[in-house]
Amino acid sequence: MTTNPVEIVLVYQSLLGIYGDRGNATVLVKRLQWRGIEAKLTVVEPGDPVPATGAVYLLGGGEDAAQVSAVRLLTADGNLFKALDDGAVLFAVCAGYQICGNTFTIGERDEVIEGLGVLDVDTRRGSERAVGELLTTWTRPDGTEQLLTGFENHGGFTTLGPGATALARVEIGIGNGVDGTEGAVQGRVIGTYPHGPVLARNAALADHVLSTALDRELQPLERPEIDELHRQRVAFVRKQGLRR
Amino acid sequence: MPSETLRRRATPAELRVADRVRLFAAQSLGNVAALGSRLANRGSGASIRGQVLTRIAPDAFRLLLRGRRIASVSGTNGKTTTTHLLAAAVRTGLGADAGRLVTNTDGANLHYGLASALSQAPTADIAVLETDERVVSDMIAHGRPEVLVLLNFSRDQLDRHHEIKALGRSWRAALQRAGQSGPTVIANANDPLVVWAAGTAQTVVWVNTATLWTADAALCPACGSMLTTIDDRWDCPGCELTQPEATWRVDGDAIVLPSGERVTPELRVPGSFNVSNAACALAAAVELGVDVDDALRGMRTVTSPAGRFATTTMHGTTVRLLLAKNPAGWAEALPLAVSDPVILAIDSVAADGKDVSWLWDVDYEQLQGREVIATGPRAQDLAVRLTYAEVDHRVIPDLAAAVAAGGGGTPAPGSPTAAIDTLATYTPFQKLLKMAGLR
Ligand SMILES: [Zn+2]
Repeated sequence: MTTNPVEIVLVYQSLLGIYGDRGNATVLVKRLQWRGIEAKLTVVEPGDPVPATGAVYLLGGGEDAAQVSAVRLLTADGNLFKALDDGAVLFAVCAGYQICGNTFTIGERDEVIEGLGVLDVDTRRGSERAVGELLTTWTRPDGTEQLLTGFENHGGFTTLGPGATALARVEIGIGNGVDGTEGAVQGRVIGTYPHGPVLARNAALADHVLSTALDRELQPLERPEIDELHRQRVAFVRKQGLRR
Repeated sequence: MPSETLRRRATPAELRVADRVRLFAAQSLGNVAALGSRLANRGSGASIRGQVLTRIAPDAFRLLLRGRRIASVSGTNGKTTTTHLLAAAVRTGLGADAGRLVTNTDGANLHYGLASALSQAPTADIAVLETDERVVSDMIAHGRPEVLVLLNFSRDQLDRHHEIKALGRSWRAALQRAGQSGPTVIANANDPLVVWAAGTAQTVVWVNTATLWTADAALCPACGSMLTTIDDRWDCPGCELTQPEATWRVDGDAIVLPSGERVTPELRVPGSFNVSNAACALAAAVELGVDVDDALRGMRTVTSPAGRFATTTMHGTTVRLLLAKNPAGWAEALPLAVSDPVILAIDSVAADGKDVSWLWDVDYEQLQGREVIATGPRAQDLAVRLTYAEVDHRVIPDLAAAVAAGGGGTPAPGSPTAAIDTLATYTPFQKLLKMAGLR
């Protein structure tokens, strides 16, 4: 279900927004507007009700304590789940990705916390902290492949259950950390580790999120500068990867 | 005439003969290395001097701090300028005895940078030292500073963000261990992380800096609850942490003293954030025994601390250099940029932070209607950010070429400097200083 204008909902920016992930919202809104599609951005802060009318919901990166608060608030509010039942897309990054799972851990003592349960994944503290440029290959629903780049910074490693499929395969970097995969997809929920913000660095993924939400193909956009950034980052990460 | 407190002399480094000889040898070699670095045009040589010094005398940092009266200045943003303001205040207060003062003016604020500065002034008994956040606990333990200024504590480099809480804990532990012999902390009451970190200090002088940046302070550093703001004051509903009552206060362009008297600092460095820095520097100066009028007179002599806010001509363009290291720094510096075009220089080596996602937390939309020249190794990331902000721009990756291209433009009407404003992250800022012959 999409209303007019298309509503992009940035969820709890002050809790899950320390790594520039609000940029994902800016990117989605602009890419609709540039195509002449009316769009609006709704920023929801803790204490505000989450609208049930959004087409895309965004969760970003943050600290342990922020993850716990976000799960508690979103569960109590309930509207995100309603919107997902109605066909909305949830795009979650890093800490936001982890809280979408069944469980994740926080703190030095690895306390296990129940997540939102919208992705069949579980996250545990990894053998190392993943900090650095990430390069992955994403297989689109139509089978074509696309390189994705971003910057990952997380201590948790994520294991996929049978309900979820990986978003991409890692070429350089850590990603999910356990089996060479990166991110997870389940229905209209997409989780991924890289910041960048990831949708600014990967226009194809941004348009995939939008066309999924709108249930239709979108006109291609000519923005050579954005393609040039993608090309530069892929080249940089590969060169850096060779030196590892 | 300096006050009695300020007149009190300390005796730097009563060292054993063996230590003195070792330090002297290390210093001499360090000076040779520094000279070599200067001749090779690789900067001021402070870092290389310090590196040689601490390799030969690993305990140089500790030995050189010993016995001095120390004021240490730390925080994520503004520590270089605040150190310059405080040093100038103390220098003026000392008058004819200004030789008693040593300070690290070039911003070299890690162990070896501090050792290098101190080694240059073996007899100076008062040290005003810009101190990196990572060195604060060692400074407390080994330097036993009289005064510790904590300005703010926000994310600096995104790829290191997860270290912040651990750093805050190390400050708390060091202040706790120092106990009665710990410093008087001059602390920004508006910053929850600073208030939490200063919580174990014996004596704290709170300054209400009237600062705005709150994006990093959503959660209580003590208990993780969401902070609330009531009547411009933050509070934690989950524990006892709350914005403390301040004795010093910033009110617009003025600083309100503990007595209630208002003074206007009339600084020559721009921006309301520098009034906040000046309030902290003034409180620290008074703690050291400097008279308020002397301190203000001194602070007014500061124009371009370590090149910040300097106006200079190079490649045919007159530029004003502004440093912006992180989102909080950009939020402060961007409104100061009034020229058209504006030059923005971005890099992502370790000193800048390897993750440039922060570009999306800066309100570049405010530049709409003017042209940006995007430069530096990450100019393309900035270009994409500006595309989405709908700000006109050109990408000129080479810094010198970008500065030269800026010369075609005109400063905005009413611009205080008649210069092209050039904002840079840490590494391109250092390159600009070198290009301008300022370091
Ligand atoms: Zn609390």
